[in-house]
Amino acid sequence: MQDKTVLDTYNQKTHVIGRIASAITLIMLVGAPFLIGSILGAMPDLGAAAKGFLSVGLIWTISSVVEFLVYTPMLGAGGGYLAFITGNLINMKIPCAMNAREIAGTQSGTTENEIISTLSIAASSLTTIIVLALGVLLLVPLQPILQSETLQPAFANVVPALFGAMAYQYFRKNIKLACVPLVMMTLLFVFVPSLISSTSMMIIPSGAITIGLAYLIFRKKGSL
Amino acid sequence: MISQLNSPSIYLICGIIIAFVAAVCVVFMVRAYRAGIAIGMDPAKLKRALTSSVTFSILPSIGILLGVIALSGSLGTPWPWLRLSVIGALHYETQVAQAAAEQVGLSSLSASAMTPRAFATIAFLMSVCIMWGMILSILFNKAYLKKLGGQKTKESSGKPGFGDSAMVAMFIGLVSTYIGSYIGGFVSGQGVLTFRGDLTPIIVAAVSALVMACFIYLSEKKHLVWLESFSIAGSMLVGMLAAILI
Repeated sequence: MQDKTVLDTYNQKTHVIGRIASAITLIMLVGAPFLIGSILGAMPDLGAAAKGFLSVGLIWTISSVVEFLVYTPMLGAGGGYLAFITGNLINMKIPCAMNAREIAGTQSGTTENEIISTLSIAASSLTTIIVLALGVLLLVPLQPILQSETLQPAFANVVPALFGAMAYQYFRKNIKLACVPLVMMTLLFVFVPSLISSTSMMIIPSGAITIGLAYLIFRKKGSL
Repeated sequence: MISQLNSPSIYLICGIIIAFVAAVCVVFMVRAYRAGIAIGMDPAKLKRALTSSVTFSILPSIGILLGVIALSGSLGTPWPWLRLSVIGALHYETQVAQAAAEQVGLSSLSASAMTPRAFATIAFLMSVCIMWGMILSILFNKAYLKKLGGQKTKESSGKPGFGDSAMVAMFIGLVSTYIGSYIGGFVSGQGVLTFRGDLTPIIVAAVSALVMACFIYLSEKKHLVWLESFSIAGSMLVGMLAAILI
């Protein structure tokens, strides 16, 4: 019973802190261009910004809504607030939290999972902040090494390396199920190569179909 | 212009915002750790979640650092440092910066063409376009999770819920999409069914998957559980090395 009160207070406070932190970050991020502008002696051109928003901003707005709806349940309250403040969801925070969850062996929707994903996202964000701060500090001496021709192919392929490793981790949970989206998406991209540039949008139909099939398997077997 | 964008005052503004976000992360981390202990979770498990997340994040973070370097040529160092530390992702920032540059009449996103007004506009658009995740969190995170939680208790009649399987399925779908795009890129990237596209991402993904298989074998069959924390980073590193060798 005491656990429940501890948890209730924890959850309530998470929302309060999460909201305040998000609001302050938001104000600072939107305010910074004006502050920097006043130092440089010019304000943002709001008309141009509005036009720019209509050309690219709308797409990002829609994808933000989708991201919010899809990832919030995966991340829980604390993880959710942090992830949306710190960004890099799909290429880092989500796989990172899933990996931590896998290692800790927690179930989604449980308190353990909420705690593990908050820990994971916080640790991941701090790592990025520290690596970037050190990197910026060392930028001058490091630049020749990091930008050397030899290393470029490695850094250009950080995403395929990530998804290769995760493919093995997840496909083996149900290889037959994995074949369906894999074959479908491969055929789609082979015959409509122009879609490759909008790969991230294709995640939505692919994910939806896989979840649908998983549900059928789940109803039959009770697990994947 | 670029020296103005790299001036100490701009470093200071960006540094303060980053420090604030770092402090928020520390607060969340400490609270979650304490709550975990309070409800009787194994401290070793919590620590493993932490170490694995740190090792997992180092390599992608170096990739993000390269993004800062890539953008620093046109936007100076502090602003890309802030954007990529805190909220953005390189593909997003580059796309939005490019769009804003077009709107203020720059021919390209470059330091030589940059003006104070152009910079302020680009920076503003970058901030505005990606703020929705935060706004939605502020407004709806609580209600949304509560609603999902409510459904969960209704469903939970002894059996494990579908939630876990749904997450695994979502991930299988996501990974399949990317792997599919690499295969599609190779087969049809230079014209449909010409097999002349870039093979590197497929090889990198395959090598990385193979190394992951070794890691899983060692940790499950040989009981080297500590290896798990390094499995993703290790597989990625070997996969990325393969890209250099081919």
